[in-house]
Amino acid sequence: MNENKGLLIAGLNTVMRNKRYIFWFWLLNLTLGEFGVSAFRRSTHAVLDHSLHSAGLVHGFDLSILLELLARPQFGVNSLRGFLAHPATSATLPASAPSLYFAFLFLVLTVLALPGVLTGYASRYRLRREDFFRACGRNLWQMVRLVIVAGILMALVSPLLFRFHSALERQSMESTNEMLLPVVQGLGLVVIFLLLAGFRIAFDLAEADVVLSDQGAVRRSISAGFRHASQSLGKLIACYIATTFVAGVVMLLGLSAWVKLVAPENVWAAFAVSQITLLFLLVPRFWQRGVAVAYWQQRMMAPPIPITPGPALVTLSGKSEGSAIGEG
Amino acid sequence: MLARLKTLAFLVLLGPGFLLPTVRKTVNAAQTHVSARVLHVPDVRNQGLIPDTTSGINSATPMSQRIVHYEIEAKYDAAKHTIEGKELLTYHNLTGQALDHFPFHLYQNAFQPKSTWVREAKIQGSRDIDYEHWLSSDYGSDEITRIEVVGQGDLTRKLQYIQPDDGNPDDKTVVDLHLPKSIAPGNYVQFKIDFREQMPETQARSGWKRDFLLASQWFPKVGVWWQGAWNCHQYHATTEFFADFGVYDVKLTVPQYEVIGATGVEVSSVDNSDGTKTVTYHGDDIHDFAWTVSPRFKVQEGTYQAQMGPIQLRFLMQPAHWRQVARHERIIRETLDRFEKWYGPYPYKTLTIVDPEPGSAAGGMEYPTFITGGTNWYAQKGRHDVEVVLEHEFGHQYWYGMVATNEFEDAWMDEGINSYTEVKVLDSIFGKNSSILHLAGVTEGEREDQRLGYLEAPDLDPMAQKAYQYYNFNSYGDITYSKTACVLLTVEGIIGEDTMAKAMRAYFMKYRFTHPTKEDFLKTIEEASGKNLRWYFDQAVYGTQVLDYEVVSIQAFPVHWYESRDNLGTERKDTLYQSYVAVHRKGDFVMPVDVEIVFDNGEKIREHWDGQNRWMRFGYQKKAKILSAEIDPDHTIQIDSNAFNDSYVIKADPKPARKLSNYWLFLTQWIAQALAWWVA
Repeated sequence: MNENKGLLIAGLNTVMRNKRYIFWFWLLNLTLGEFGVSAFRRSTHAVLDHSLHSAGLVHGFDLSILLELLARPQFGVNSLRGFLAHPATSATLPASAPSLYFAFLFLVLTVLALPGVLTGYASRYRLRREDFFRACGRNLWQMVRLVIVAGILMALVSPLLFRFHSALERQSMESTNEMLLPVVQGLGLVVIFLLLAGFRIAFDLAEADVVLSDQGAVRRSISAGFRHASQSLGKLIACYIATTFVAGVVMLLGLSAWVKLVAPENVWAAFAVSQITLLFLLVPRFWQRGVAVAYWQQRMMAPPIPITPGPALVTLSGKSEGSAIGEG
Repeated sequence: MLARLKTLAFLVLLGPGFLLPTVRKTVNAAQTHVSARVLHVPDVRNQGLIPDTTSGINSATPMSQRIVHYEIEAKYDAAKHTIEGKELLTYHNLTGQALDHFPFHLYQNAFQPKSTWVREAKIQGSRDIDYEHWLSSDYGSDEITRIEVVGQGDLTRKLQYIQPDDGNPDDKTVVDLHLPKSIAPGNYVQFKIDFREQMPETQARSGWKRDFLLASQWFPKVGVWWQGAWNCHQYHATTEFFADFGVYDVKLTVPQYEVIGATGVEVSSVDNSDGTKTVTYHGDDIHDFAWTVSPRFKVQEGTYQAQMGPIQLRFLMQPAHWRQVARHERIIRETLDRFEKWYGPYPYKTLTIVDPEPGSAAGGMEYPTFITGGTNWYAQKGRHDVEVVLEHEFGHQYWYGMVATNEFEDAWMDEGINSYTEVKVLDSIFGKNSSILHLAGVTEGEREDQRLGYLEAPDLDPMAQKAYQYYNFNSYGDITYSKTACVLLTVEGIIGEDTMAKAMRAYFMKYRFTHPTKEDFLKTIEEASGKNLRWYFDQAVYGTQVLDYEVVSIQAFPVHWYESRDNLGTERKDTLYQSYVAVHRKGDFVMPVDVEIVFDNGEKIREHWDGQNRWMRFGYQKKAKILSAEIDPDHTIQIDSNAFNDSYVIKADPKPARKLSNYWLFLTQWIAQALAWWVA
């Protein structure tokens, strides 16, 4: 437990020393979000700005007005569904679709910037901007390879897990005890979360290893990541559960504050509360990165080779060889 | 029983001539629909064949013209999900003509792979199941193993499946029986039927789920002589039922561990030595009989004091939903209050409310004095789904149960009228804009929900269409339920809320215990309002026109615009403006509308436009600028397909769009973070 606490605190300290990363990622998240939402915003303004019917959205929130708006072709759920199914051949691009592109772009940029973050976390001094980007550049392809491998593994494992979960659901649906289904669903999701968290931990350690060991062979880092994840699974997963719990609490608090403290017509206050929530939602994930770096430093870092002065070669003249060479 | 058979044989021997005077009298009553409510034909020959009992109703005399008497003894095999039964059906021929054949519904035969029901469900969709794969548990059947007509012998071999709607030879949902001897007008005929039902796993609110059973459409049921012919349609994926009023005496034998609920009044319950029990039910002035069993039902009973007498309320709840029983009872009582006050009395002595097995397709259904609801263990208080379903199904006690329209041909008359009254009742209980949802600051009203349903398929089918001729299941649902509700809410706007309430009450009181037609209903509204509404009904009920009006432009300029800018006085209060508002009828539905124009000096002007032309421009010369224009400012039109363009405000208000955009921004940022969390 103390060791867990140590890892958690070490991770948190790392995050707190480097708060600026969270801020920059939030700003990136917001900027890309704004780009993504612009088409949606333009379309909603066009429909709502001059209509008395839209007043029901301001004072309170009349869901039927939103549903009527979303039923229009430029927003249509059906067109979004069609777009997601066949993005290349979809006849119309719904106003909501660009947001998905920009969400994906955020993922890509996160992957690219991660080596800088990990280097910064491992560093005892404030990493200079050029060092940050140098780390990003140097590890670019390793990170891409790691994400591809992680993506393939997750893509293979996740459907299997969810298929198994569905099978359990179907079985429990046959029970005459109605409460069995939600229990199975809940427990199943917890198990899936834990298994996927295990994978995530392994790849987080691998990413830390690739960047901080300057490891060119990604497979060695992946193997080290999985080895350490399995060796220290209990304490690492406890840390990840704790941080995920924090994320849940942040989300709940944020939404509660939004619903209870913000007047329905106060759009700017709603914006502020939502962005503060999103800002704090980034903390747990960076905390997990901090835990991974702390773990790497404690357990995975190759021990420094002690430099001990070798036995001096004494020449017949009584001078060391080096000196002799130096002098020669 | 023997005495009854002897009487019948005697009557058959006497022939039609003997009964002619009585027949004429009865047929007249049936045709006019006027004297059909409290009808007790003073004919000694009636006695004993179709009983005049009233033990199922709070009335001293029968309330319907009783055509049928079903006496059924059935035994349920819980392991095989089968029902073996014997049925004695007495039919009173009030058709005014001799009948030489009788069609019977065998509804459970719909659940067979080559049936019309399954064929249509595969093409058009259905409520519960898409039949992508056929499962043995999907199979249902309804077999008459023997049929005898009293006085004419065993006629089992004369049974012939018919397919009056689509000619599908593999559909066995209607069987016809030709009699060697016709049944004269006014005479009675008795059918002794042995039948066997294989109930499917619940489909279309019928069948079993685990150890639960909803036995509906579970016995051979005779068709209805209606508008001069037998009306006995095949069972379709989008149709429900149609049957004559009468008396039901049903003995059900089920395992002793089962908790049972059924249509009508429980007469007795006797434990048998073989581990079963036989429960007897009686129902008066009803046209169907359904029952349910489950070993796990928890029962709550209560009494509601109705206008005609006490009603025994019986709630059969799932154990996991027991804490919601008060919620169920509250909505039933409040709905009863309003229906009795607004439309007329509920005359039956019982009402059974069934909370069906979770995961079954048995929820949300109505049978006489018996309804199924639908909830789940996590039902939240701010979401009124539970109440919506229960209110709707109770409403069917009026619009189906008593006003027994033809659900095969006029589905909108039960589902749609019921959806209209659903809006009225739920608005009255929970408030106009929050009758469906009032949770975490988010609201939704029932009337708007109906309108959204209508907007999903506004122009594929007219309301006045046979239920099995709709384009697909969605169109059927959107038109029969939602469009009808919107159309009637709009009628309410045209004739006034009070007048509409009077019309609805008049319709119920006049046509209860009969089979009214669409014109009966529409004429009742016209009579109550004193208005000719054909122009509206032709488009809304019989047509597929779509209504969409828009404020297309607002323009204004100073009258003396040509004067030099110094003298123009654009900033002065006394500037005279020439202003125009143009409205446009985008859709093909023509309807007169009001337009309200608001000026910046506070003045409001109401214009009336007949909507005949495609567009209309209103002009004003005032020392004020127009702030806004709105079509239908009282919001009486529920069938406008686009509410956003019904108004135009000069000064844009960006708040609604900003608010929505902020929600969308939050959601997409969160999705991006979650994606990066798991993948990067």
